[in-house]
Amino acid sequence: MDLQMVIAGLGGEGIIFMTRVLVEGLYRCGQPVISTETHGMAMRGGSVISQIKIGDYQSPLIRYGEADLLVGTSLEEAHRNLPYLKEGGIIIKNTPQKGVHCIDASAIAHKIGNPRGGNLVLLGYVLAHLVPAISIEPFLEVTGELTPEKFLTGNLKALQEGWQVVLQGNKEEDKAEEGNQAAREN
Amino acid sequence: MKQRRSVGKVLMGNEAMAWGIIEAGATAATSYPGTPASEIMETVCRIKEEHSLNIHTEWSVNEKVAFEVALTNSYLGRRSAVMMKQMGLNVALDPLMSSAYTGVRGGFVLIAADDPGPYSSQTEQDSRYLATFAKIPVFDPSCPQEAKEMVKRAFELSEEYEIPVMMRPTSWVCHSRQGVVLDKIEGRNETPSFKKDPQRWAATPRFRYLLHKELNRKIREISLRNHPSPISAPGGAEMAVVASGVPYAYAYDVVKAMGLEERVALYKVDLPYPLGQEIDELVQIHPQTLILEETYPVIELQIGCREGVRGRLDLTIPSEGELTPDIIAHLFATLLGEGVGEVRIPPEGGRKPSLCPGCPHRAAFWALKKALPQGIYPGDIGCYTLGLNLKAVDTCLCMGASVNQAAGLYHSFKQGQKSVPPIVATIGDSTFFHAGITGLINAVHQGASFVLLILDNGTVAMTGGQPTPAGGGPGKSIQIEEVVRGCGVDFIRTVDPYDIPLLIQLLKEADHYARGEEKGVAVIIARHPCLIYGARDEKKGGGEIFIGEECDLCGLCTERFECPALCKGPQGGPIIIKTLCTNCGACLYVCPQGAIKRV
Repeated sequence: MDLQMVIAGLGGEGIIFMTRVLVEGLYRCGQPVISTETHGMAMRGGSVISQIKIGDYQSPLIRYGEADLLVGTSLEEAHRNLPYLKEGGIIIKNTPQKGVHCIDASAIAHKIGNPRGGNLVLLGYVLAHLVPAISIEPFLEVTGELTPEKFLTGNLKALQEGWQVVLQGNKEEDKAEEGNQAAREN
Repeated sequence: MKQRRSVGKVLMGNEAMAWGIIEAGATAATSYPGTPASEIMETVCRIKEEHSLNIHTEWSVNEKVAFEVALTNSYLGRRSAVMMKQMGLNVALDPLMSSAYTGVRGGFVLIAADDPGPYSSQTEQDSRYLATFAKIPVFDPSCPQEAKEMVKRAFELSEEYEIPVMMRPTSWVCHSRQGVVLDKIEGRNETPSFKKDPQRWAATPRFRYLLHKELNRKIREISLRNHPSPISAPGGAEMAVVASGVPYAYAYDVVKAMGLEERVALYKVDLPYPLGQEIDELVQIHPQTLILEETYPVIELQIGCREGVRGRLDLTIPSEGELTPDIIAHLFATLLGEGVGEVRIPPEGGRKPSLCPGCPHRAAFWALKKALPQGIYPGDIGCYTLGLNLKAVDTCLCMGASVNQAAGLYHSFKQGQKSVPPIVATIGDSTFFHAGITGLINAVHQGASFVLLILDNGTVAMTGGQPTPAGGGPGKSIQIEEVVRGCGVDFIRTVDPYDIPLLIQLLKEADHYARGEEKGVAVIIARHPCLIYGARDEKKGGGEIFIGEECDLCGLCTERFECPALCKGPQGGPIIIKTLCTNCGACLYVCPQGAIKRV
């Protein structure tokens, strides 16, 4: 796999945690990966991005116009970081709006009783797109290892929910396709 | 895609360097926290615990202390490491300079992490300059795996020449994550032995000259074996690129992405100082040589032959800001006469950082602005520098400066005019221990008169919640009140900043004391644990906060109080974001209409 990805959002939204789960999980799947993230003063509610490069790379920073994938934990920050995205690149956003690759991760997190788990819902969604051929297992395993006991169930559920959104979507598309097929046959 | 388990572990650069220290068998590791270096020591402590290792670890009160404690372990023939950020090295510069002369016995590695950009620092200074200033070798890693290996090489070099060795990672090495292969832990524990040698360890100026001569010999010998390594050197290359640190990694990626493998010869420098003369030959055989390094021209200044050398000295590379892959791509295109293509404009704006919801500092700053609105507020280094957003921080120079600047303000006003305005310095608890105490002693002794507001949240919050001397440790815990009293202060009050009315009253009393007949430094300790690292799930008693009908949409609470949990809603009026609100109740005192209430 050769892929460059930016996650953009605000301090406190759990971008570092997402990055850790993603990178460790990919590494366990045998992928060469390097990433980086902002710490210190830039945290505390300010703009934060992390960058992840999968493939034969030595440096973690991505040039503007080179990212294949831009993930926004908040809409504003996703849009602000558009200069990173290459032509034809994909943008996945946490937003209640409807549209391609729009997922209301915060609402789903609320619904499953883990209001701060929006980052993992979003990550589950990203994973289902990014690595459909890989199972979610290594990522669940890493999430389990990095999560304190009392948030464990909630975090695992959040990751699975995000993953399920894509699977459900795919199934619905399949159903619609089957329906069309049936209609054509009739 | 087949799944396989790798032998290594994904580590942050800082964690990798900690493993380097452990694997090399260090028996002392000391540090003062600071971004981007903090996680090195945190990781050393964690590994020590997990593997029951026999290492002396300490979060020292400041970097000078940390340096000298670790250095002395090395005098006793044992491997030692000290970690800090670049500004911290300024604090430890005194022992650094002198230890280069005395030399060391057990390997002694100083890690000074730089912050080009800067992202979380007052300057983007290059610590490698201080290595050249002190005449000690400096390694410049380009990625986490290499950083771990270099720590071990640094220990070996240090022992071989009995010289302190610096590791200078930058933020993007410290905070990168990468698979790192772990080796076995050496588990050395040399018997400490102090070999008395006054001409070395306690040298008088007469012998210092000889130590300096010895240092010069060491550094010359090291330079003779230190040359740039060719990574790819095609014949007939139009340009040589000599790079160290993260810029090397950028150069590698950009050469590949632009397909320049046949046109560019890439050389890597692991040890930017002291460099041997071979780099001059390299410059001579190429039509032009581009030097890529952060953030000052350390390699560049060691090149004797200047023909065709492009870098910072001839202004080819910007003299400030970090070196990014975009800048490097642009440099390659320009120097090789290629079209530069579309230049993308980096993202602008973005949200600035602010104090956390419920942060006790916000309440303290609000009270300060209310109590003494005409005041001048010298500030200091930590989360509470963000008091800027509340207009309650007027200066920010360096660790501990607020106390001395308050004294300076007082003396200046007193000498220059009749009336002294209210002067209130703010300083965090850890910063007070780090560099505030000496200033306070000086201020009291020199007859300065001002208010010192110590914002005590019980931890070093900005860097991830490291301990302070007031907390539990192997020894006694040190109470700020007693220290302040010992510094000669007579006016000392302690208050919970959430009690804004009481804090306002105390600030007025303190100002009255400082500017009235009594005079002297008045100290208020505003104490409440950090909500992130101190009392995580604290929920204050009482019902939830809500906005009542009295709200007249004046916007004061959302614009001036700037709590992330109190935002402008879609209708223009304030709304409480329940998932963020900590129920601290500080905002109850903010609304002039009394519209912010509890259920």
